[in-house]
Amino acid sequence: MERYFEDVDLGDLIGPVERVATDAQVLDFCKVWGMAASNRFTSREVAQREGFPDAIVPGIMGMAFLAELVTRWSPSLELKKLDVIFRQLVPHNRLLKLHGVVTDKDEEMGLLEADVYLDLSDGDRMVTGKAVFSLPHREG
Amino acid sequence: MAQPTVEFDRSLLGKDFPAGSFTITKEQVLAYCRIIGETNPLYLDEQEARRRGHPALLAPPLMCPLFARDLDRPQVKLNFGRMRMHAGQALESFHPIYAGDTITASVHLADVYTKTGRSGTMVFIVWETVFVNQQGERVAVSRDSHMVRE
Repeated sequence: MERYFEDVDLGDLIGPVERVATDAQVLDFCKVWGMAASNRFTSREVAQREGFPDAIVPGIMGMAFLAELVTRWSPSLELKKLDVIFRQLVPHNRLLKLHGVVTDKDEEMGLLEADVYLDLSDGDRMVTGKAVFSLPHREG
Repeated sequence: MAQPTVEFDRSLLGKDFPAGSFTITKEQVLAYCRIIGETNPLYLDEQEARRRGHPALLAPPLMCPLFARDLDRPQVKLNFGRMRMHAGQALESFHPIYAGDTITASVHLADVYTKTGRSGTMVFIVWETVFVNQQGERVAVSRDSHMVRE
C-alpha cells in the first residue's frame, strides 16, 4: 500500500511482521555474507567455544529484518537511517515479532522517525532501533 | 566511578584507512531478499526498477554494512577479554545502491571506551565505515559497535 507523508501521524503503527530465522536461513544468510560455513551463527559447538549458549542469529540479520519491516510499509519509502542496539542474543528457530511506531514527523525536512523493535513472541525485547525515512508527498 | 584503562593501539583513532572494495551482484541482491523476506519490487524486479526511473535493480541499503565484515580493518590490538559480540549498528544512506555497483570502503576507529556493570567490565570498539560507489558518490556511512567482555 502506497503511503504519503501527509497521511502519517505520530503513533501510527508499523507492522507487526512475524519472522523465524531458521537454521537453514541463517546458513544461507552467512553464505551471502561470505562467512565460513561453521561459525558462531551456524554451529552450536563453535558458539559454545566462544562463550555463547547456542548458535545465534547474526546481529546484521536482525537489523536486516527491521530494515525490511520499515521498507515494506510503503513501496516508495526511502530508508535514510537505521540505528539499532542488540540487547540480547537472538536465537534460531523462534518466532520473532517485528514492529514499530512513528515517533516524529519533521514537516520542514519531510522526514519521519519511528522506534522499531524485534521481540520474541513471549515479549522479550532483543533488538531496538530508530529508523528515519521519507515518503512521497501527495502533491508531488 | 572511574572506568579501568585498557590497552589498545591508540594511534588508530580518527585515522582513515582504505578497507578494500566489493561488487554487489544481482544474484546476491536476490538471495538476500529471499532470506530476509523482502517484497519490494524495486529490489526484486529489474524491469520494475527501471520503469520507476532507476538504472538497474536496487540493492537494499543493508547490503553495504553486510559486506563490511570482509573488509580490511587495522588490528586494534586490544589487550582485554575473549568474548566479542556485535553491540549495535547504525547505517545512514545517502544514495541508492544498485546491483552491479562496485563499492569502495574506508574505515576509521571512531572510539574505544569501557563500561562496568554487574557482570564486569566491557570494552566497546566503534568503527565507522564510509562507502563510495564507482562514480565517487558517497552512498552510505555505517557505524558499528562491538563489545568485548572478560
